[in-house]
Amino acid sequence: MEVTQDLSFIHLISNASMLVQLVMGLLLLVSLLSWWYIFLKLFAIRREVRLTGKFEDAFWHNQNLNELYKQVSGTAQHNQGALERIFAAGLVEFVKLKKQHGVDAAAVMDGTRRAMRATYQREMDRLESHLAFLASVGSVSPYVGLFGTVWGIMNAFRGLANVGQATLAHVAPGIAEALVATAMGLFAAIPAVVAYNRYAHDINRLATRFESFTEEFSNVLQRQP
Amino acid sequence: MSAIVYREPYQLPAGILAVAVHGVFFALLYFGFAWQTQPAGAMSVELWQSLPDMVAAPPVQAKVEKAVQAPQPEKTVKPDIALPDKKKPVLSIVEGVEAKPAAASKENQAKPMVQKPGTSGADRQAAREQAEQAAAIGRVIDEYTGKIIGKVRRNIVMPPDVANDARAEFSVTLLPGGAVLSTRLTRSSGNAVYDNAVERAILKSQPLPLPADVTMFNRFRELKLVFRPVE
Repeated sequence: MEVTQDLSFIHLISNASMLVQLVMGLLLLVSLLSWWYIFLKLFAIRREVRLTGKFEDAFWHNQNLNELYKQVSGTAQHNQGALERIFAAGLVEFVKLKKQHGVDAAAVMDGTRRAMRATYQREMDRLESHLAFLASVGSVSPYVGLFGTVWGIMNAFRGLANVGQATLAHVAPGIAEALVATAMGLFAAIPAVVAYNRYAHDINRLATRFESFTEEFSNVLQRQP
Repeated sequence: MSAIVYREPYQLPAGILAVAVHGVFFALLYFGFAWQTQPAGAMSVELWQSLPDMVAAPPVQAKVEKAVQAPQPEKTVKPDIALPDKKKPVLSIVEGVEAKPAAASKENQAKPMVQKPGTSGADRQAAREQAEQAAAIGRVIDEYTGKIIGKVRRNIVMPPDVANDARAEFSVTLLPGGAVLSTRLTRSSGNAVYDNAVERAILKSQPLPLPADVTMFNRFRELKLVFRPVE
């Protein structure tokens, strides 16, 4: 005769001890947050890639820098891509330095590059925001889940000490409860790790594109009379 | 450049998607996993010596009905056509009387054949319903007997040196609510220590699990429980 132990998912959670429930709640919160960031970054990075491609096209097909600048500064701030901002910062600085007399060509180029470098850093910082959170969720939440599990199993075994004869039926529900915490930890961690790796790679590629654009744009400016 | 704090785009859709992912995941867990052990239901089996003659049955019925009905129309309808309506009662009575022996004898002959398909069809339907009901009740009883035995078994403090085939049978009288009124050893396992251990476990397991349906309690008033060290 089998031991009829009716276990449903809800039972497993509601019967768990206080600390295990706390751990589960924390993991749920973390998981929600990390999925939010995952989608947020997914949209943001896709948008950035799209805008970068668009601007690169526009830049190489339209050699008139003033017209391009008007186009860029005409779009609203939040619709500008990172590359457009880098371009605008470089061009503005270049024109300002050119207007000052007595600044030699090398100094003008240095100033322009510094301006572009600063904007580039700021844009990278914006793109990389929240990635650290995903990385820490990926590495820490399995341990948090494991902690909940260990605590739950400790409780299950302590309960075992109170009965004379140890049967599997005594321990099994407690262990199942405890293992839910590990499952939740893994559920939070796996997507976070995958997303982190993916996004880090995507952002690296974007960074390379920005850098090469900066170099090429410097060359274009240097050729300007 | 002025330091502008950029809002991340698509905050709301991302939030909705994140919640949706969790909703889907928990729905999967909730509906995908039912860690419920289904008790083996009682199965009722009808044993048939041979398959019923499904093809042969209808013609038999039709033939018999014709045989029964045939005498009446023949003898009542004929005068109807031949005579005016006023005389019909007299005639029909006469005819009816005359016809009776013939019809009766025919009916008598037909009866065994008629009764078989007609009555057994309705009976079978009723019997099947009854059997289904009994099976449903039997399932509940099996389920809760299983639960009771499971609960008791968990509380048995197994004494040493119990043979694997030791089999103790108890008759347990229950009160509504699952309290144990009395236990009686109906068949000893041959190991008094084991018998006592089981009895203590039964008392310790109070209240025993009972179905929520109060009308079922009558079936649990007197329970026969069989305990073996190894199932």
